[in-house]
Amino acid sequence: MKLRKKIAVVGVATALVAGVVLVAPAQAASKDLVVGITLDIDKLDPQGATSFSTVRALGLVYGSLVEVGPKLQIRPGLATSWGFNAAGTELRLHLRKGVKFQDGSAFDATDVKASLDRILDPANKAAARANIATIKSISASGLNVTLTLTQPNVPILAALDGVNMAMLSSTDIAAGNVGKAGSVNGTGPFKFVSWDAGQSVKLTKNSTYWGGAPKLDTVTFRVIPTEASILSALNAGTVQFAVITSPLVAKQVSSNLTMYKTPGLAYMALQINARQAPFNNLNVRLAVQCAISRAEVVKTAASGDGSVIGPITSPAYKSDPKARPCPEVDLVKAKAYLTAAGYPNGLTFKTMVAPTQQATIAGIGQSLKSQLAKAGITMELDVVDDSTFVSRWLAADFGTAIANNGGKIDPDTMYTRYFTSTGNLNKVAGYSSATLDSLFTQGKASGSVTQRTAIYKAISAELENNAAWVWLFAPLEYRVTAKNVTGFVPLATGSLLELRKVDMN
Amino acid sequence: MQGISKLRRLVFSSTFIRIASAITTLFGISVFVFLVLRVIPGNTITGAFGIETGALNPQQIAELRHYYGIDQPMVMQYISWMRSFLSGNFGYSFATGRSVFTLTKVALPVTVELAFIGTILGVIMGIAIGMFSARKPGSLRDFGGQLFGLLALAIPGFVLSTAIVTIMANKFHYFPNSLEYMPPWKDPWMNFQQMMFPGLVLGIAVAAPVMRTTRSALLETVDKDFVRTAFGKGVPSRKVQFKHVLRNSLIPIVTMTGIQFGYLLGGAVIVEKIFALPGMGRQVLEAITRREYATVQSSVMVFAIMFVTINILTDLVYRRVDPRIK
Repeated sequence: MKLRKKIAVVGVATALVAGVVLVAPAQAASKDLVVGITLDIDKLDPQGATSFSTVRALGLVYGSLVEVGPKLQIRPGLATSWGFNAAGTELRLHLRKGVKFQDGSAFDATDVKASLDRILDPANKAAARANIATIKSISASGLNVTLTLTQPNVPILAALDGVNMAMLSSTDIAAGNVGKAGSVNGTGPFKFVSWDAGQSVKLTKNSTYWGGAPKLDTVTFRVIPTEASILSALNAGTVQFAVITSPLVAKQVSSNLTMYKTPGLAYMALQINARQAPFNNLNVRLAVQCAISRAEVVKTAASGDGSVIGPITSPAYKSDPKARPCPEVDLVKAKAYLTAAGYPNGLTFKTMVAPTQQATIAGIGQSLKSQLAKAGITMELDVVDDSTFVSRWLAADFGTAIANNGGKIDPDTMYTRYFTSTGNLNKVAGYSSATLDSLFTQGKASGSVTQRTAIYKAISAELENNAAWVWLFAPLEYRVTAKNVTGFVPLATGSLLELRKVDMN
Repeated sequence: MQGISKLRRLVFSSTFIRIASAITTLFGISVFVFLVLRVIPGNTITGAFGIETGALNPQQIAELRHYYGIDQPMVMQYISWMRSFLSGNFGYSFATGRSVFTLTKVALPVTVELAFIGTILGVIMGIAIGMFSARKPGSLRDFGGQLFGLLALAIPGFVLSTAIVTIMANKFHYFPNSLEYMPPWKDPWMNFQQMMFPGLVLGIAVAAPVMRTTRSALLETVDKDFVRTAFGKGVPSRKVQFKHVLRNSLIPIVTMTGIQFGYLLGGAVIVEKIFALPGMGRQVLEAITRREYATVQSSVMVFAIMFVTINILTDLVYRRVDPRIK
């Protein structure tokens, strides 16, 4: 009897385990791509999208006038050609013929005008309004649009890219339907199907897409809250695509998966509030800058996956990371600056960090803390959550902060808002000067690449020599796909638009 | 007759006191969570717009404050929320575009199911190992049981969860939680697969205190006169263990189980996160990050109501388990 009981128990347990292990969940059908995301999307209005998940998902549904390609070149999107007048105050765009919205209606200049007007209307709280605020008027006719600007602004062309500059149907705008689940209507390669809050966003291919119907039938963004679990899902075959930010998780990606490591435009910096003591003393800022080895930060915080940068990460105008007062760590200089600042015995300050903002932030904090200690500088980490960080950051309620900032393909859109005295984030940046104001105005007005290169080099020098911030490094971005996913081209902007060309074997 | 009526009054008054104290507790929690959310830096606007809040002008911020209802005095905000909550309107989640009630309707069953599975597994494991240990105190089997208790207490849930997920996915290509969550009424088999491992992780966490409580309660009871008498009368050992010793040791075990179930309701956040379960823990965590006041407040109140209810039910179970309490 006892033996029989034992056999029964072992039998049931074995059947259970075998059932569970062998009857593994069915894999997704061949042309259905599942993308793992850690955070759910938070809105359906593309022009108001700020979270990475929302930007990536809606970026497949909506189109913009221009696109940024793999080499960060500006290429045609819904506009096929463009040109500025000699003064740089008028931008004329010619639109693509035969483009249709997903509801079947035709796309034309009226939609462009309505979309840009919607972005410019402060009531709509569009995320990219500041980038096109120099538009004075818009004239639309057929497939031609003319933007008249209040001042010369060549970089505005690059600002027309992205989901925040999504072109919407003028009918939807007039009806007040934008952002409503039943009215998601773009010109992008995929159509919105459903959003199950906290779980998934489902898209299906747009067969009438102007760039040709995508090869994938569906794309599902599935919320799996940790990157480690997303990697497990990739290994299990239930997810076929993911963007990973943690170098530690990226190191565990097996050879059964394909990994794309690409340098992005985003950068990590020790932001300094130069309007607050003791950082209102230039020598203190320079001492901090000279006591830090950026290469060491990359090695310890990002497992070596990153490159040391200067202020500007935009490829065409990239700053030389060696052109700074201390290109390498120099403790003697650091101590000399400290003595000159009146702190011969060192000083103590706090640095605000939100480790959940980006995977390398906690490591950066620890690395900086130990490096600065060698120069007699005690850095205390003030650890806060994301929302607290944002709130205090906006109020400039910090001496220093470790920030993960997004880069842009044009330095004007990247830094005007931070380092010009009238920029909307200048309070946060904590530094401005008449020289910078003048240089940024010149950069905006110039249409010559040579001239602009010289201008942004001067801006870099001004920022570095005054140690406005301590620019650290640009982390690599990791996109991981299943082996059967082919044709993906990573974009440094973080957009997943190139899923339109992806196939699954 | 008079005695019975006095007793009845006493029972009624103790029940009344219990309920009144529960209501006071709930009121205290509602005020606490309301104030804590407003004391910490950030608000719904910074939660929704992040650093782009810096691009908003004062008029836009004023409009948004009005839109989110955070331009009202705090007392008015509290009264407005309480009035809505008591009438069944839990508020609105701006990030998901759904009412908090709708979100809770989906998330609560997930968490409750997970807590139930965790508690049941924990109680079964805890009592079994506790009894196993207590049979021969100081022996190797007792050492083994206590070692299990120690390990179960010492290994954090996130470590165990991550280890299970990683091993199952890497070695067996098995991670059902990365598929769409299936409620039991839609696909019971898939639901079982999705709940099995997170339930086990929580079960192990519950088993440790239950095991330790069971062991000490059994050791205390086994020395009682009535147990010796039962053995002396020749009652079979198994019958004495279950009917006399375990039965008389149940009070602390029930108390511990009740407390653990309550904790599981709120403490499953990490397990829900790693196993990608769309439960209440995740709902609250994400809402805190976004500073969605209504979602956090109403969800915490749902937790609190359940916790308080479970405590009252635990008291009722005492009466059932131990007639002396009546």
